[in-house]
Amino acid sequence: MTGVDGNRRYCRDGGAVTSRLLDDIVLLYHYRSGQTHMVISPVPEILDRMADGVAVTAQDMQGRLALDFDMGQELDAVAEIAAHLEALVDLGLVRAA
Amino acid sequence: MKHSLILRIGPATFRIGSAWRGPIDQLARLYARYPAVTDEIADFTVRLQPTSPVRRWIRPSIFITGDHGLADAAPMSLSHGLLAAEMGMNLQMALGWRRHLLLHASSVEKDGRALVMTGESGSGKSTLAALLGERGWRLMGDEFALLDLDTGAILPFPRLVSLKNRAIDVMAGEVGEGRMGPLLAATAKGDIRHMVPRADAVARMDEGAVPRLLLFPRFGHDADERPVGSAEIFMRLTQASTNYVALGQPGFAALTRFVGNVPARAIDFPSGEAAVAMVERLWEQMA
Amino acid sequence: MSAARLVQALRDPAAVRGLDAKGWNGLIAAAHAERLIGTLAFRLEDIAVPDAVRAILADARLDAAREAHQALWEADRAVVALDGLGVHVLLLKGTAYAAAGLKAGEGRFIGDLDILVPRDMIDAVEDRLIAAGWEWAKPDPYDDAYYRQWMHELPPLIHGTRDRMIDVHHTILPLTARPKPDAAALIADAVPIADGLYILSAEDRVCHAAAHMLADGDVQGGLRNLWDIYCLLEDTDPVALEARAARHGLIPHVRQAKRLAAALYGTSAGLTTWDRLVRARLLARDGWGRETRKLLVFGFFVRSHWLRMPPLMLARHLWTKWRKGHRPQ
Repeated sequence: MTGVDGNRRYCRDGGAVTSRLLDDIVLLYHYRSGQTHMVISPVPEILDRMADGVAVTAQDMQGRLALDFDMGQELDAVAEIAAHLEALVDLGLVRAA
Repeated sequence: MKHSLILRIGPATFRIGSAWRGPIDQLARLYARYPAVTDEIADFTVRLQPTSPVRRWIRPSIFITGDHGLADAAPMSLSHGLLAAEMGMNLQMALGWRRHLLLHASSVEKDGRALVMTGESGSGKSTLAALLGERGWRLMGDEFALLDLDTGAILPFPRLVSLKNRAIDVMAGEVGEGRMGPLLAATAKGDIRHMVPRADAVARMDEGAVPRLLLFPRFGHDADERPVGSAEIFMRLTQASTNYVALGQPGFAALTRFVGNVPARAIDFPSGEAAVAMVERLWEQMA
Repeated sequence: MSAARLVQALRDPAAVRGLDAKGWNGLIAAAHAERLIGTLAFRLEDIAVPDAVRAILADARLDAAREAHQALWEADRAVVALDGLGVHVLLLKGTAYAAAGLKAGEGRFIGDLDILVPRDMIDAVEDRLIAAGWEWAKPDPYDDAYYRQWMHELPPLIHGTRDRMIDVHHTILPLTARPKPDAAALIADAVPIADGLYILSAEDRVCHAAAHMLADGDVQGGLRNLWDIYCLLEDTDPVALEARAARHGLIPHVRQAKRLAAALYGTSAGLTTWDRLVRARLLARDGWGRETRKLLVFGFFVRSHWLRMPPLMLARHLWTKWRKGHRPQ
């Protein structure tokens, strides 16, 4: 999705998710939709950093990830994170707050 | 309905009703050695009924339905009535079974351990299971393997083995005419003959086994063997399961555990004999 | 007759105690055929039944729970898709009963997501749903034109990845049907439940169910619709219901639904001759779950089309259908 509002805030959907690691792929079972998702980095890392329930912007998320990972160019990273968050909104794993 | 029969296969009981005598008589003959059930509450009702009243007599045409049915199921000729009954039972399992994770797979057992084989129709999984069932393994099922949600065991569903085209002569030569059903020529899937499993497969149909090897067989290619990544295994098994989504979280838990615990290989083989040899070798190495 | 046994089991669950295996097989087959197996499972929850039956009913309860769960997720997806449009997600039928925790929703089969929106918003709603991943389910231009010209809903939309259907209604009966329910009043008096979801008022729920059963279809699946009505009636005020039915032009339908619900699921009531025909049709199901009385079934098919469409339109519709190889029945 393009042209995402940079101030848009996101939080994780209340429906619990369990995950299992298979190779480098994480399986997510989303109770509320009954759907199984297969995701790879950085999606599991993003979801992990939303577990506290606080609504975050893509910029906030970049900050949270940067604590543990080398994120490279900040602007590129924020745009990529925003795209991931929007994709997660489409799946219902994340909601716009 | 005019003609009927109750059958138990593994954990499932079917009440089959038919507007015609033929399919019921054929079932009664081929399932004669299965546990006798006469007055029992069935898990599923299957109905073989005329597509319209006149179709009961003129160019008889069977509509397969039951507790679970597909509105657009193609009608079948009465000469394929046995196949219609088998498909009716499969349909109930595929659409209605909830007590195990149902995998579209064949399975055989040895020493309490199970080999599970999954693949598209035509992959050879059914024939390979039938063949192994005559060569020192116990046939657990040629079509559905039932994965127990709590224990992780594979449970048998040893219905009649459905043999297609070239597999018919191979198996008829192996087991003899006495265990073979009538030739159903020119069905939608080619020629079909049903085969009665060995007595031990029927006698032990309530006995599960721990899955120890998963194979993705492919018939008609030069012998080859490849590892398969767990993500691909998981995907292919969800596609091979008709009730994965319906079972929800318990299905997810059972399937991820299965994929985590059971080693897997893809195998290509040019013939049944070659396949049996490959399976025995892999079983020796991996199970 | 197994449909009669099914009705009796729903009315008086303890009545199943005397059933033998044959009786159970017939009851279960009829419950499947009428899509009432989940409802039956709920009704028999506290009744001692044979082990084989208990397993079947436990499966049915699990299926019903999953259906409800998935239906609520679809409703949630619609709320997200229509967010900010100024249109409430007004749920109809099964999803509404499940979302509001109504008795009619206990164990009920839920198929598509049905929502009601104002007619002048229907294009905007359609655009939003398509942007959110729903797609046309019927690409046939004739069907599409037929829906848009004569029906009370958009052609069904199916979600591209979730494979679930949504029916967007702008009223509760086809435009060609004789009664003309007041759709604006249905929407104006809707009741909020949770999470941005609305349902019809108690009286409108009965009006809708009665219209759906008696003025719309060929009474197919009628035992379930009638069970809905029987349960929904408990929440209504009789005087308010009459007034509401009058407003929607549905007095005969609501009254007949009340008589039939009382006769089949409640304590008996007087039935008219036409009621008795409808009842015979509702109970036309044998011990194998098959429809019996084929002539009566065909009669109802014709009737349902007469109710929806003036004769010339009916001829045009059937002609187009037949040319495509469809046959009524």
